[in-house]
Amino acid sequence: MLSTRLLTKRYGSLTAVEDLDLEVGAGELFGFLGPNGAGKTTTIKMLVGLLRPSSGSARVAGIDITSEPEKAKALIGYVPDAATLYDKLSAQEFLEFSGDLYHVERRLRDRRIAALLKLFDLQERGDDFLSSYSRGMRQKISLAAALLHDPQVLFLDEPTVGLDPQSARQMKDILQDFCREGKTVFFSTHILEIAERMCTRLAIINHGRLVAMGSLQDLRQMVGQDGQSLEQIFLELTGSREDDVSAVLRGLEG
Amino acid sequence: MASKARPGAGAWEGLALGLLLWRVQLQMFINQTIRSRQPGRIAGTIAGAAVILLAWSWEGFITWLGVQASHRVPVRVDTVHLLSLAFLAYTGVLVFSSLVFSLNALLLNPDLEMLLAAPRSVESVLASRMAVQVLRLFVLSLLFTGPALVLLAIVNQNPLIPLAFAMLFFLYPIFVVVIISLMSLLLVRIIPVGRGREVLTVFGIALAIGINLANFLLNPALRDPGFARHPGAALSLPDVPAASSSWLPSGWAGRSAAAVLSGDWPTAAQWLLLLLAASAAVFAAGSVLSGRLYMTGWIQAVPPRRRHAAPRVRRLKGKVPLLSPVLAAVVIKDWRMRTRDLAQLVRFLMPVVFLFVIFGLRFPRLLGAVRSLGDGPPAAMIGLIPAWILLFSLSISLGLSAVSLEGKSIWVYAASPNSTLRFLQAKCWSTALPVAALVALAALAAEIMIRPGWLWAVTAVALAIAEAAAVTTLMVGIGAVFARFDWTDARRMMHPVGIFIGMGLFSIVSGISALLLVISIALAAVTRFPLFTTWLAAMTISVGGAVAVAALSLLFGNQRLRGLEVG
Repeated sequence: MLSTRLLTKRYGSLTAVEDLDLEVGAGELFGFLGPNGAGKTTTIKMLVGLLRPSSGSARVAGIDITSEPEKAKALIGYVPDAATLYDKLSAQEFLEFSGDLYHVERRLRDRRIAALLKLFDLQERGDDFLSSYSRGMRQKISLAAALLHDPQVLFLDEPTVGLDPQSARQMKDILQDFCREGKTVFFSTHILEIAERMCTRLAIINHGRLVAMGSLQDLRQMVGQDGQSLEQIFLELTGSREDDVSAVLRGLEG
Repeated sequence: MASKARPGAGAWEGLALGLLLWRVQLQMFINQTIRSRQPGRIAGTIAGAAVILLAWSWEGFITWLGVQASHRVPVRVDTVHLLSLAFLAYTGVLVFSSLVFSLNALLLNPDLEMLLAAPRSVESVLASRMAVQVLRLFVLSLLFTGPALVLLAIVNQNPLIPLAFAMLFFLYPIFVVVIISLMSLLLVRIIPVGRGREVLTVFGIALAIGINLANFLLNPALRDPGFARHPGAALSLPDVPAASSSWLPSGWAGRSAAAVLSGDWPTAAQWLLLLLAASAAVFAAGSVLSGRLYMTGWIQAVPPRRRHAAPRVRRLKGKVPLLSPVLAAVVIKDWRMRTRDLAQLVRFLMPVVFLFVIFGLRFPRLLGAVRSLGDGPPAAMIGLIPAWILLFSLSISLGLSAVSLEGKSIWVYAASPNSTLRFLQAKCWSTALPVAALVALAALAAEIMIRPGWLWAVTAVALAIAEAAAVTTLMVGIGAVFARFDWTDARRMMHPVGIFIGMGLFSIVSGISALLLVISIALAAVTRFPLFTTWLAAMTISVGGAVAVAALSLLFGNQRLRGLEVG
């Protein structure tokens, strides 16, 4: 469903993502992990066509996102990190706008909007301007907009940030249901516990390079210790700095 | 959070903190300009410095001319009253800029919270903001008047003139800044959080109307049409006797400045010392009071009221006749964004208000003059002038900002399965429709009143509509080339270079159109072709040229958007 080949993004002398090779199948819930500044957001933005790769390629359902962006985008739903929405539109109007952009037939669009607002428990606030929404509510509206055109692949950048525990749980259920329909979810997160419990496969990226990819079991085998938590694997693969932290904190006390 | 430190300590601490903030602002300015390592920004900084130098040279030249003229033709003028009036007028600027600065600092800038969370007294934090504002106004006034002051020092052979004026410029704003800051602290209590920008826009409109009204009421040239034709008459100054009152700071500053210029240093020092003592007292008292007002004002600012989409507007379910759903969706979304944001709405309304100020108040006289031209194209063309001014203003403000209007939400369209060209088409529709409609209304109203003959009137209105559509499209294209997606503030969406190019191209297109229409009249007279034929040919060439330039700008705009990365 999703594949990248030697995907690279450079900003001048800085290489944000380097030679990334990924394969994600249909029905997979794929977690994309990495420390801050590792290149997660850059990768997702290249995969949804918001950034142009410096070299390499990315395909969604076999369609090259660079050479046929409009065709590929029709199959994609995207929820950015801290989505900026149109403040002066109501949630209902924003979803109508989004549906029209994705060529959703009008009656179907209105039916889906009503269902999604109900699903996210926002039907009472549907006519409120988005400027009055909290970060979590905006996140829900972004996800609703991403689901509105029934995409084949859903990309989410830190989707649970800003959500209360109930909403985070609800989002997990939605994503799992989405995958059960044979569709693909590709999401980045810092919350390793969520990734550990939800994802069928994971990839860990550090300094723009892929350092590991596979199921949790595969990753455990890779670091050579069974029974390790994802957090321990993650720290091992990305370089733990616990000793450094303790030394610095001791220095501050003095 | 209120400080229990001794009275006056807040003011001193505030001054120190103000200097620290000022240093940080200076660092940020340097980092964003000469230390940015971005060739474009560095070039922009150098170009900006060159423009300032040019403006300074021009100001110096004009001052020199003024001094020479005053030697040859002595002007009878009350210097104290003139300078007091100047300081009083400056007070208006100070009031507005202080209000904007204070409300911005309290409602929009996030750094105030950081400062208040630091182990500093509230009084010192608020006093530091006042100090920064005073310093900023001081630098700005020196930037504007520096060359004139230096030239006056040279001409009068008195090197202390710039220094004395610098002290006046430093001390005079303190009163206003402190009073307005204190008022703002109370005012924010009634301004809902998140509506600060709209409130500032309302203040801006009020100021613009106020300045126009004051100009009409106080300016002798506007009250007496023959004012400028009385040679040798004493220079008449606006009737504001309070300006030079010895009880007001404008009177103290005016007296001190007049004394400086005449070399009467004891008098200058006397009024300057009075200003210094009063300013210091006001600043100290203001710092103490600010802490108390903060507790009753900002800290209790009201939460934003929930805003709903009006039911009437909600009925617009994404349908615009003749437009595809995607184009219609963007057009309707833009319309909602423009009309629901007060700052955007003002961009529609201000040109109309100013058009009324420019033409409406002088209308009867103008109409008589144009009607005296009789029937025919000259009268019809002159009738298009108000529509053209409207077109200039609307096409620049709405056309250039059409693409940038998306702001950081540009990702919504960029992630959708639609081309950038379709996006530009939608932007052209969303901008050209309202602009052409308003321009057509203005042209129609003028032609109905002028009555140049129905055929000429109809063709003139048709020309206005076609040019409005073409010119607005041209601006949309330029706006795409210079799109800025980092700003949600309507005033900052447009790139200065884009504005410059847009204005230049508007002038060229308008100039060529006018020239073509004049040539068509001359050609008909010389060749004895029917006037309507040459007029129609000129119109076709003019509109065709404008459309061609607009298409070219769309091509460039599309090229820019295709290369855009939403990072």
